[in-house]
Amino acid sequence: MSIRALRSQEPRRADVLTTSDGYPRRVDGCLVEAIREEWRVEEGWWATPTRRRYFSTVLADGSLCVLYQDRRDGSWWRHGR
Amino acid sequence: MAADYVELHCHSAYSFLDGVAQPEDLVDRAAALGLPALALTDHDNLCAALPFAQLAGAAGVRPITGCELTVEDPHGRMHVVLLVEDRAGYANLCRLITLAHRDTRPAAGGPARAPAAPLRDVLAHAEGLTCLTGCPTQGALVDVDAAPERLDLLRAAFGERLAVELQRPFREGAETQLRRFAALAAARRVPVVATNDVHLHLRRRGPLQDALVAIRAHASLDACRPLLRGNREHVLKGPGEMAALFRDLPEAIVETRRIAERCAFAITDDLGYRPPARAGEADRELAALCAARMDDRYPRDAADRRAAEERLATELRLIRHHGLAGFFLLHHEILEIAREVAVDVRGPDAARAVLPPGRGRGSSVGSIICYLTGLSHIDPIAARLSLGRFLNEELAATPDIDLDFPRDIREQLIRRIHVQYGSGRAALVGAFATYRARGAIRELGKALALPAADIARLAAASDGWSAEAVGDELRRVPGLRERADDPRLRLLVALCRQIAGLPRHLSQHPGGMIVADRPLSEMVPLQPAAMAGRTICQWDKDACGDAGFLKIDLLGLGMLSAVERCVTEVARTEGPIDLSRIPLDDDAVYREIRAADTVGVFQIESRAQMQMLVRVEPRCLDDLVVEVALVRPGPIQGGAVHPYINRRMALRADPSTPIPYDHPLLEEPLRETLGVIIFQDQVLDVAQALAGFTSGQAEALRRAMSRRRSRAAMQAQWEAFREGAARRGVSTHVAETVFRRILAFSAFGFPKSHSAAFALLAYQSAWLRHHHPAAFLAALLAEQPMGFYPPASLIRDAERRGVRVLPVDVAASGVEAACAHPHGVRLGLRQVVGLGEEDAGRLVAERTAHGPYRDVRDLARRVDLADGVLERLVAAGACDAFGPRRQVLWELGLAARGRTMADGARQLAFDLQLGEAPAGLPEPSAWDLLVGDYASTGVSLRTHPIAQLRPGLERVVDSRTLADLVDGTPVRIPGLAVARQRPASANGIVFLLLEDEHGLVNLVLLPDVYERNRLLVRAEPLLLAVGVLERRDRQVNVRVEHLEPLASPRRGAVGPVERLREVAPAAQHFAQGRRRA
Repeated sequence: MSIRALRSQEPRRADVLTTSDGYPRRVDGCLVEAIREEWRVEEGWWATPTRRRYFSTVLADGSLCVLYQDRRDGSWWRHGR
Repeated sequence: MAADYVELHCHSAYSFLDGVAQPEDLVDRAAALGLPALALTDHDNLCAALPFAQLAGAAGVRPITGCELTVEDPHGRMHVVLLVEDRAGYANLCRLITLAHRDTRPAAGGPARAPAAPLRDVLAHAEGLTCLTGCPTQGALVDVDAAPERLDLLRAAFGERLAVELQRPFREGAETQLRRFAALAAARRVPVVATNDVHLHLRRRGPLQDALVAIRAHASLDACRPLLRGNREHVLKGPGEMAALFRDLPEAIVETRRIAERCAFAITDDLGYRPPARAGEADRELAALCAARMDDRYPRDAADRRAAEERLATELRLIRHHGLAGFFLLHHEILEIAREVAVDVRGPDAARAVLPPGRGRGSSVGSIICYLTGLSHIDPIAARLSLGRFLNEELAATPDIDLDFPRDIREQLIRRIHVQYGSGRAALVGAFATYRARGAIRELGKALALPAADIARLAAASDGWSAEAVGDELRRVPGLRERADDPRLRLLVALCRQIAGLPRHLSQHPGGMIVADRPLSEMVPLQPAAMAGRTICQWDKDACGDAGFLKIDLLGLGMLSAVERCVTEVARTEGPIDLSRIPLDDDAVYREIRAADTVGVFQIESRAQMQMLVRVEPRCLDDLVVEVALVRPGPIQGGAVHPYINRRMALRADPSTPIPYDHPLLEEPLRETLGVIIFQDQVLDVAQALAGFTSGQAEALRRAMSRRRSRAAMQAQWEAFREGAARRGVSTHVAETVFRRILAFSAFGFPKSHSAAFALLAYQSAWLRHHHPAAFLAALLAEQPMGFYPPASLIRDAERRGVRVLPVDVAASGVEAACAHPHGVRLGLRQVVGLGEEDAGRLVAERTAHGPYRDVRDLARRVDLADGVLERLVAAGACDAFGPRRQVLWELGLAARGRTMADGARQLAFDLQLGEAPAGLPEPSAWDLLVGDYASTGVSLRTHPIAQLRPGLERVVDSRTLADLVDGTPVRIPGLAVARQRPASANGIVFLLLEDEHGLVNLVLLPDVYERNRLLVRAEPLLLAVGVLERRDRQVNVRVEHLEPLASPRRGAVGPVERLREVAPAAQHFAQGRRRA
């Protein structure tokens, strides 16, 4: 599934283990093979504030995974499966 | 390694709505982060380049001058960053920015176009500049198809001085793009360089940056989400953070340092400016010019001749010493141009032709050279004006020569100077419009999508200048204060605080011009002004001054225009007068001045001046010179006003009353002002007399007070003052008292020379008002906006003094108000709201060419007026001669309009047959007519609204009877608000001027009363004031205890008052002494 298609899916809670500097190491038990890109979102402060740190990753099983950490409460979410 | 990073792409708030940092914010933050150097690269301008460089240099951060330029090629627009390496590069950058702005003002008017420089010009002006390829959203390489070609072209032009810019903005997809840029750079062997496209100095200012984007897009934040940056990574980052970010591309960090080292140019050095060159020897030329005029001004046998010769010799010596002869000759030359312009504008035979083209103001009026060369109209010897403030041995900066002109002459003069010195060699000095409370509330409120009604209410209630105080304002507005915790209102308050003082756009200084001997666009970027034929430079007066540019101040003075128009009107209706020969001791004029009967008179018409007039009681021009200077923050805060008035009254009662001086040494400098400091130059005289300062030292003291005061500098001044005074046997105690007085006076006073210039104009206008009241009123109305009072009040005042004012009439009115006969004024067509000057002009021209209009249908046929304009003319009563308004409107509805064809011919239309207006419609009441007058013309010649309401009011007094009441009498007084004022020096007291059918009443509102009645004071035209009469000498005020809006009486002929509220002319509002729109 492409990133665009993944992103269009509702995010759901994810169980994420991180490295010491905050990068995802394991997502729902699956090892993160590579981090393709990181981007940050900080917007909507005038209505519903959003502060997220997004990662586009490749997991050990070869699948793409787009996930983010909500920077207000530290929770992790992933798009799609 | 870490310290290797230099930020080369950084925007300040001078990128105008695309950056939140003041230059000082960036410099402070850069120093704190340990950045060794910083480039400022605002969009398409160098507006902040010089102050940035000065601030950065002082903070130990090496400034780099640059710009993010918008460039255009056949593929479209792009941004590139240009950084200055040397002086040639600086000149090229200035030229390129000037080119980018060249076509931003369409010849046909309309909104400005965004600047852009053609790519071929950028390539041709590459010398001395380093080029970076710009940001990932609008940079040169964003367009995938155009990128290789653009990079090749830039490389061919800039060679080694080109780098591909890499940024890590943490936006989705940015990494892919970065890799594309890096690959392109590698393939073309162009180095890569890391930048952060800085728009914030602190992360927490991110919301303001978003709000600015929304303001720029004229949309709400929600609506322009795609335009926002989406995060706050575009903040100024330190070397360590940037090095970590580009860990995988260390060469991009190293390149920043390499480029920074190349960019050694210092904008604070000499930019090569020279004033226009003069052939021959300037000193000799100036001396000859003065000598030639000497006999005229000071005949050989005149008593003043010797003193004049001595003063001239002193001034010429000082001018030679400072090398300023060229400066004076340049001003003289400009005045000669002004003379030619004046002949063109006025016409050779006009009554005003004998008047000089302009007049001096400010300290230059004290110079005999200015007097002899026509730059001043006041004889400095006769008026005993001192020179030190203008010229002295130790001049720190080029002195200012300020010239006032009638507006029409000034317009043409500015144009002519552009032509005469060659385009590109003359430009207007720039100025920056900055955010104040109202603009901030309106624009940020819209960005936050607040309800329009809330925005309007808060903006209307706000009367502070500073947007920082919007939170306080909010807590006072009923309907909003209850919701002060509403999250959006809190955001508004926070953003207003942050936006306060940020520049919004470049505009033009009121009169400053710079001229040079070579194209200015090599030294400062130029751009076309909104008005065709004018150029503005991107620097304000401080930057121009710091760069050593010679500045000429050509100011437009509304009263000079009015006086000239008045002289013309008098000549037309009564016969010519020579204003330069009117008696300066006309007692009838002074009687009116002493009675504060001065509505419309220059300078002494304001509420504060009127209050002072009845106490100072001026009897001659010298008294007026003091009067003009007295109502200034300097004398008021310096505690000079009351002692002066008390001593003056005591002297009047007993001329032998001794004047107390702080020290006998002060008797000489302060004799004419009875022992107190009233004029700015007296600060200098006192420092010289008491502490033995030289004129240069004294001027340094004055400047130290006028700039932002540095504690250390003032301490040093005080030490020198005390020591100097001690050497003259003055005790420390007395020295301290006097020094404190000087300090309190600060710089906020007029020099005597300036007062003298203004006092003369005040007298001349009072003389014209007394002897030619109709012509004077016509002139004031025609030259609006100007002065303290709205036109409606000027008309009422003139009517009270016997002038007959005639309504607007399409058969008789000119474009502007004019004398109908020596005692009557006919209102001009321009008085009609919604009728443009052009429409009015065509209506008059057609009437002049082909005779009077027979009826409204004839008018509609002959003059091409937009829909609605004719209706407005009828509503304003301008067609009353054609019949009752309803009948005329009926006819108008059926009248066919002619249209002007492309070739200028008139196409006449067939007319429908006209029937009768439907009968039975009631005729409008007097109140209806009054409301209609205000709505359509802003003035009314009918019975004053208060007179109409008075029968329904109980236990009220009027402005006439007030004068007979004793101090302490409780009063109820109704009136129409004409002006309100909240002076900075009055501790929150608000003054409100009410007008009734007999005259004006001055209300005083203490801060608590004002707070309780804030909205009434600010928005209600018809008021009933309840309070206590206060009488002091001849000064009469009402101290308000309670204020209420005048309600519609239950019975009677008067219609609803509320309707008048909608249309009554808004009271003029003055904050800190200046009028606000």
